[in-house]
Formats: sequence, C-alpha cells, structure tokens
Amino acid sequence: MYNWSLAALAAAALAVAPMAADAHGPSRQKVTETVAVAAAPDAVWARIGNFQDMSWHPAVAQTTGEGGNAIDATRELRLGDPQGPTIDEVLYKYDAAKRTYSYRIEQVELTTLPVSNYSAHLTVKDGPNGGSVIEWRGAFYRGFPNNDPPPELSDEAVVNAVTSVYRLGLDALQAEFGAAN
Amino acid sequence: MLAAAAAQAGGGVAYITNQGDDSLSVVDLATGVETGVLSIPGRPAGVAVAPDGRVWVTSPETGALTVLDPATGETRALALGGGPLGLAVNPVTGAVYAADWHGDRLFVIEGDRLAREAATGDSPSGVAVTPDGATILTADRDDDQISVFDARTLERRAVIPVGERPFGVSIDAAGAVAYVANVGSNDVSVVDIAAGAVVATVPVGERPYAVALASGRGFVTNSYGDSVTVFDIETLAPLAAIDVGEYPEGVGASRDGARVYVANWMTDTLSVIDAESLEVIAEIDVGSGPRAFGDFIAD
Repeated sequence: MYNWSLAALAAAALAVAPMAADAHGPSRQKVTETVAVAAAPDAVWARIGNFQDMSWHPAVAQTTGEGGNAIDATRELRLGDPQGPTIDEVLYKYDAAKRTYSYRIEQVELTTLPVSNYSAHLTVKDGPNGGSVIEWRGAFYRGFPNNDPPPELSDEAVVNAVTSVYRLGLDALQAEFGAAN
Repeated sequence: MLAAAAAQAGGGVAYITNQGDDSLSVVDLATGVETGVLSIPGRPAGVAVAPDGRVWVTSPETGALTVLDPATGETRALALGGGPLGLAVNPVTGAVYAADWHGDRLFVIEGDRLAREAATGDSPSGVAVTPDGATILTADRDDDQISVFDARTLERRAVIPVGERPFGVSIDAAGAVAYVANVGSNDVSVVDIAAGAVVATVPVGERPYAVALASGRGFVTNSYGDSVTVFDIETLAPLAAIDVGEYPEGVGASRDGARVYVANWMTDTLSVIDAESLEVIAEIDVGSGPRAFGDFIAD
C-alpha cells in the first residue's frame, strides 16, 4: 500500500494483482473522523472548500483538475512527489451555504488505497466558542472482490487505511488552525 | 421523531439487515418502534419474507443463509458457501433463491436445504420471482444484464441487456414488468419479461440501488443522492425527488401500499414515506449500516 505518511501509516508494501476496477466486496464500510479547531467555520471553509485545492492535506503534493466546484468537476491528486501515485476524483455534490462537498474516486490503484466504489464528504460545521468542527466521512467497499481477502486487503485493513488518511489531513488542519478553545 | 403518530397506516413488521453490526432489526411498523434485535453473523445483507412468515437472511461474508421463525424467535443457519447477497422466495412453492455474488450462480433452497444451483451472469445481486412462481430474475451486475430462469427446470430462458451495473430488481403485481435499478447509468430499466426486452428507461438520481412499487408509483433509492426518485408507473413521468437519510439502499412498500420504507445505510435509520403525499413522515432508528436488500416487510 502507498505510504501516505511515514508517521501516520505504517502500512506494508503490497504486491497486488490488477483487478476489475468496479468489482468489490459485498459489505460497504464507513469511516467518520472529526476534528475541532479554533478558527471560524468560514475561514476553515475558505481553506478546504475548494475542490481544486487539496494542498491542506500533507500527503497531497499537487491538485490538478477541471470544472472548479461545479457538479462533475474532476481533480487528480498526486501524492508525495511529482512521480507519486495519483487518485482521480469527481465532485458530485457541492453546497457552499452548508459548507460541504461530496466526491467519489474514479480511479485509484489498490496499491495506493485498496478501495472500490469510494465516496466521501467533507463538511465544516459550527463548533463551540466560535470555532469549527471539520468532519470527513467516507463510504466504500474493499477493492478485493472475493471472500477471504489477504489481511492487507481485508475490510479492517481498508478501514484503517482510510481512517489514517483522514486523521492525517484533519490533524494537519488542527495544527494549522489551532485546537478548539 | 413522530414515529408512533405518523406510522399507523401501512403497518406490518419490517426485518432490517444491519450489515455494520451483524444484526437483524425487527421493527413494528404500526408503532414505528424497533421491538427486537437478533444477532446474525457474516455481514447480513439480503432479506426475504416467505409466504409461511419465516424470514430468510443472507450473510455474504460467511456464505450462510439464516432462517428466522418469528413465531418462536428461533434461527437456523444453512451453509451455502460463496457470497450470497440478494435473495427472493417463490410465493407459490416456498423455494428460496440466493444469488452468489462471488460464484456467479443462483442457490436454490427447497425443503430447507440446498437442492440445486443455476449459473447466472457475473456478480448476481438482486433476485425477484413473478407472483405466479413460474419465473425467476437475477440482476447480473457486472454483465449489465438480467437473467430469466424457468423456476421449475432452472433453465435460463433469456438474457436481457439492461443499463450499467444493475443491482436491485422488482416485478409488478401482474408479473409482466420488471424494474431494474442500474447503479452505473443512474437509471431504471423497464423490462417486458415475456418479450425479453427493455421497453423504456427512466432517469433517476445518483447510484440507484433498488425499486419498490406502491400506489401506481415506482420508488427508487438513490444511494449517492440521499434521495428517493418517484415516477408514475403508467406514464413513467418523474413525480418527485424525496430527501431521505444518507445512502438509502433497501426500499419496500407496506402491503396496503400506503407507506414506503427506506433503509438509510449511513444514517442508521428507516425513513417512512407517505406514498400519497410523497413526504417523509417519520424516521425510525435501526442498527448500524442497514441494507434491507430484498422483500423485507411482513404483514
């Protein structure tokens, strides 16, 4: 699996045979992670509410895309360095008033993130004392389509990988905006 | 929220597979209250109520099929193997059909034991049986087709190309028309079963999962749209898009057609829709990750 961050993910390198991109396991998994920060919701949204800019996530080296924040806008995330792996994503809901957007992964190697039919939602909510609560939620299947996946491709492993990616991003935002008062 | 006040019409009992916590919720629809929870291992997903009142549940992660007798509360598990997902019960013979998502076959349970198998297309998911018990349909998700079987001989009589990634399939009361939710192409294929052909395509929301029929209307869960698309069965015209919980999946109508119930996978609730006014009138808490994929409502 791609090493999203040495500190955050100690995932083993995998040798994964290519599989049909759309095949998946039978049980969808969900992950919800949140962080409370001191900055006001509008300030946080200004930082993370642009679908074309994921520079707030430490693992993302570059975001390139088309369509801005319109439905069906696309972006390619390049991880780590200019030669790093990529993830192709599509925006399918965007509501600036509610400070939330939803996107799905169109293309990712299982060695980068072993998921299939992945969708996610990033939302900035009002927090205590004028601060914000940032919520990142994902829904996905394991990319390994059959029963008895190897341990590194199991539902548990995939949930752990997605959780680590979310924590890495949310913890960076807390460092940037300060912990909630 | 308002569950008891709002839910008297409809009535009956819903059996909700909760894939996230390996359980089956038993919900009294007259009061809108979860009256019991049974433990069913193996990430239960598919569910079907049989004519004799028993409830069948698939566990795709363990290859098991569990049958619950609500009269006694007793459960019994059959080992099928593979990854049974969608299922349906023959309303005439009582035979149970479970689609093997991994093994591309249909398990046939007769006399409460695995009796026969039939080859399907790739990744069969939804299963439906005509009301006369003569014909079985499977939605073969990764072949973009419906397979049509003779229920007696298990001969595959036809293969019907539909939209992309068909998942749930439902048949009308006359047994003439099937409605197939195509996850990949965001539409519903309307299939003339006798003719073996798609006769219309209805655009719906993002990632449609399943279709329920009630009061002359089709109700389609849009799993990425957090909504239910309603269309007129006669004209196929869109009537409404109803906001429900997040990631709505299983959908079923009460026997009187007055209510439509939607399992919201992310929200862990059942939305209750008034089939006339097309409004959500109640939310009922269930277990974690409800799928309720199949005919989950009993009298």
